[in-house]
Amino acid sequence: MSPTASKSDTPLQVIDNATCTFCGCVCDDIQLHHDEMRIHKAKKACVLGSAWFLNHTAEKKYPSALIDGKEATVDEAIEEAARLLHEADMPLVYGMSNTTCEAQKECAALADSLGGLLDSHTSL
Amino acid sequence: MGGKVTCTLGEVKQRADFIIYWGGNPAECHPRHFSKYTLMQKSKFLPKGRKDRTMVLVDIRETKSVKASDIFLQVRPGKDFELITILRALVKEQQVTDEQIEETGLSREALNDLVSRMKAAKFGCMFFGMGLSMTRGKHMNSAALLTLAAEMNAFTKFVAMPMRGHGNVTGADVIMRWQTGFPFGISFNRGYPRYNPGEFSTIDVLVRGDCDAAFIIGADPGGTMPQPAINHLKRIPTIVLDPHITHTSKLARVHITTAAQGIAAPGTAYRMDEIPMPLKPALKSPYPSDEEVVRRINEAIAKKPFWLPEGSMPQMVTEQV
Ligand code: SF4
Repeated sequence: MSPTASKSDTPLQVIDNATCTFCGCVCDDIQLHHDEMRIHKAKKACVLGSAWFLNHTAEKKYPSALIDGKEATVDEAIEEAARLLHEADMPLVYGMSNTTCEAQKECAALADSLGGLLDSHTSL
Repeated sequence: MGGKVTCTLGEVKQRADFIIYWGGNPAECHPRHFSKYTLMQKSKFLPKGRKDRTMVLVDIRETKSVKASDIFLQVRPGKDFELITILRALVKEQQVTDEQIEETGLSREALNDLVSRMKAAKFGCMFFGMGLSMTRGKHMNSAALLTLAAEMNAFTKFVAMPMRGHGNVTGADVIMRWQTGFPFGISFNRGYPRYNPGEFSTIDVLVRGDCDAAFIIGADPGGTMPQPAINHLKRIPTIVLDPHITHTSKLARVHITTAAQGIAAPGTAYRMDEIPMPLKPALKSPYPSDEEVVRRINEAIAKKPFWLPEGSMPQMVTEQV
């Protein structure tokens, strides 16, 4: 990470060889120019990849958590999620496309401890 | 996918002089596949890069990828399995009738030419997309293509690889295989993992109404699945983890906003050739990562009593064995 000059006065930070996870190519040669709030440039990324990098910001755009449509804290939402899943006889754990392997491993543990179902996008 | 004949994209980049894309549109769905891995790169074995490689595209319609191809074969929709089977026969110089070839929408000359080129290649690679694996025949199509790749090895080096999209689906396959022995469609309801797509796969489970809660992470079935499946998600308590408020979040009982992988959350993602890549997040998110939230849900559940009635605990490999 080294600061470089940019068109605006605030120097952007640069990350070399960042990884794009938008498609299965998982290009790992992207150069990201960012100011900690948003990514301004994603060099070497294709149109899909730059859209993916430039559309996410570190702003708090959404509430941390929602329970029945009402804003809640993450702690409350985690407790409520655990309660609903534990009460269920046959809970389903599904998805895992847009997430990390570390989270996927936790999902496998979740389905295991619940005695539930575990499935991904692959089955579609 | 056990026993699949495949390789890494690095090998394709270095060695593949004959490339077939089947049922996919890499120009628009995997934009850097050509330039980074398959067509444009020069290597020790293919010093002239693109000129040393031949690219064949098989699809039901003309897409933007046609421009990048040397040969385009337009197969009749739903006839991929037939075409692969005919190719397998032609490769082995078995009899194929004109009617059988006509059914696929292609000519005998085109297929003979393809087969002779395949045999003449030094290193062939077939990439297959959702146009093959998600249409009539589904996984039987993929299996047939993988068999063709395996059989081609009687003549020359040939491999096949699925073109995976959607972020880290490859990782999901790999992690589930590692943790349970199966890639998807798993049930733990007997206390150990069982695999049965069709019975335990999500669409079937939701349409039949078999599950009574759903935990959705890194996916938006509320925007993509058939209506009966969505209706069931509305009926049962659904929990969503996503960086955005999605269609599914709107029908869910609980939504937790998480940091986007690779942008604000660190971790690992798998490339389509099953090579793990470390992520380098640039931003600091105000939200927790998926990993952290799921781990905390697991901890909260661990404090509650185990789900089986007392006395029927399955023999698990735990401390008190
Ligand atoms: S930069 Fe483009 S081709 Fe590379 S992973 Fe991202 S979306 Fe895919």
